[in-house]
Amino acid sequence: MLFPTGIFAAFFAVVFLLHWTFVATRPGLVRPFLLAANLAFYAFWSVEFCVALLAVGVWTWMIGLLAGARRSRAWLWLGIAGTLAWLFWFKYTNFFLQEVVARLDWLGMGPTPLLDIVLPVGISFYCFQAISYMVDAYEGEAEIERSPLNVLVYLTFFPHLAAGPIVRAAHFLPQLHTPPDRFRIPVTMACILILGGLFKKMVVASELATGIVDPVFRDPKAHGALDIWLAAYGYTIQIFCDFSAYSDMAIGFAALLGYHFPKNFDQPFRALSLSEFWRRWHISLSTWLRDYVYIRCFGGNRRVVLALMGTMILGGIWHGGAWNFFAWGLLHGAALGVERALGGKVAQGAKLLRWFITFHIVVFGFVLFRAPDLATFAAMMQGLTDFATPSENASWRLPALALLGLAFHFWPPDLRERLERMLRPCPPALLGVMAGLALLAILAAGPEGVAPFIYFQF
Amino acid sequence: MQQPWLKPAGTPPPRGVPDDFSPASVTWPLGRVILVLGLTMLLLLAGRSEAMLDAAYGLPILPGTEAAIAAAEAWNETMTALGLPQTMRALRDALSLGR
Repeated sequence: MLFPTGIFAAFFAVVFLLHWTFVATRPGLVRPFLLAANLAFYAFWSVEFCVALLAVGVWTWMIGLLAGARRSRAWLWLGIAGTLAWLFWFKYTNFFLQEVVARLDWLGMGPTPLLDIVLPVGISFYCFQAISYMVDAYEGEAEIERSPLNVLVYLTFFPHLAAGPIVRAAHFLPQLHTPPDRFRIPVTMACILILGGLFKKMVVASELATGIVDPVFRDPKAHGALDIWLAAYGYTIQIFCDFSAYSDMAIGFAALLGYHFPKNFDQPFRALSLSEFWRRWHISLSTWLRDYVYIRCFGGNRRVVLALMGTMILGGIWHGGAWNFFAWGLLHGAALGVERALGGKVAQGAKLLRWFITFHIVVFGFVLFRAPDLATFAAMMQGLTDFATPSENASWRLPALALLGLAFHFWPPDLRERLERMLRPCPPALLGVMAGLALLAILAAGPEGVAPFIYFQF
Repeated sequence: MQQPWLKPAGTPPPRGVPDDFSPASVTWPLGRVILVLGLTMLLLLAGRSEAMLDAAYGLPILPGTEAAIAAAEAWNETMTALGLPQTMRALRDALSLGR
């Protein structure tokens, strides 16, 4: 079930009304109801995977109880290993089989058939949240939950289930301990986030995807340099507008139900260094990697460059078993390492130059990230100077949309808060009419149909 | 209490963590929120009456499908009489400039 669809609108309307009815009349039923709603949302993709999701939830709760209450490191490692094994089975089995196939052919041992594995939607996100709960419960950062219900609601909560943000157990679980306050719902900011997200997804990301990015990445050799340049910048803007749109809408829908998720994107393309970029891009993943991988696994400050490289490669292959994700992680790890080695010298350069270099490392990385294989990436790089092949896809509308997507990064950082303050005096009826008209205008401005969000595949 | 909008006014935000919500966020009681979202939904249903009719025609044949189609047809006819689908088409044409 995708957010920008009629079926989700109907689903959310029903969940919203019943949730707040239970909050007002039967608070004890709020969490069971939320769990049922979460599973119904997930069942639109697969009923079988609902059972699997519940099993991961019960496993997480059990490990939290055993590792947390007994302070048992053995149980914690078993829990993390079990969760990672689950993730690896779905995400990396075929990658390793493919690599094994290549080696066996080389040795004359014949091919090994690939397995028919369907990746459950949101598996990376809920597995990372499961690990967050286990570690936080063990270390005492999160309260150990005696009942599985809270852990199940936390892992399956539908706004963040499919594509994040990765919400920490220590942040979310306390919100389930008391029913949300029905007299204080932040509706204005929630509407701003949802409508802003819809605009980014429907108007900018969808059009860049269908107009330039998908055709060029499908066959770079058939396109000229202008198309290739536009597709490279276009994909960078598309992935931001697509992914941050999902996060913004998830945060908005959760807020309408009275729950808070932290911000996931903070104008990442205005960063003047790679380390700043990672403080602004997919904040919930980068802080997760920092806290659970960089600090806990690589020891933080010891052998910093290696730790950065290892963390970023893990961040890359978190997206899936493919060499381009590995190379993307390696690129970011190496760039962060160089930045670290240069130390204060980086901060001394002219701001515009620092921004230009950072942005183009990010663009280069995203071309690597988007290319279905390394051969396509090489074709894209060759095409950057191919001015002989005509460029037919580049119209004025697409660069304008890409520039608009970039311009979002240079607006005042508190623009949404300013808008919220401006709308403060509006009566509810006026706010409703304005939101409805904005919604219709967004739907009219975007192309027909809704493509799935990019991060659903991870 | 983790929701920033429920914290007392003046509570400082956590250091280094950007957020769109704060103790200063505008909050309304449920009744007003239902009015906002209800009107938004009503406008959405009005502006998308043709899409709803298409969706109704695509429903599987089950008990209640005929009633759903009849309701969607009646709704679309009313909206057409008000000129809404035509306005939406004109808006779409205007906004697809350069596509």
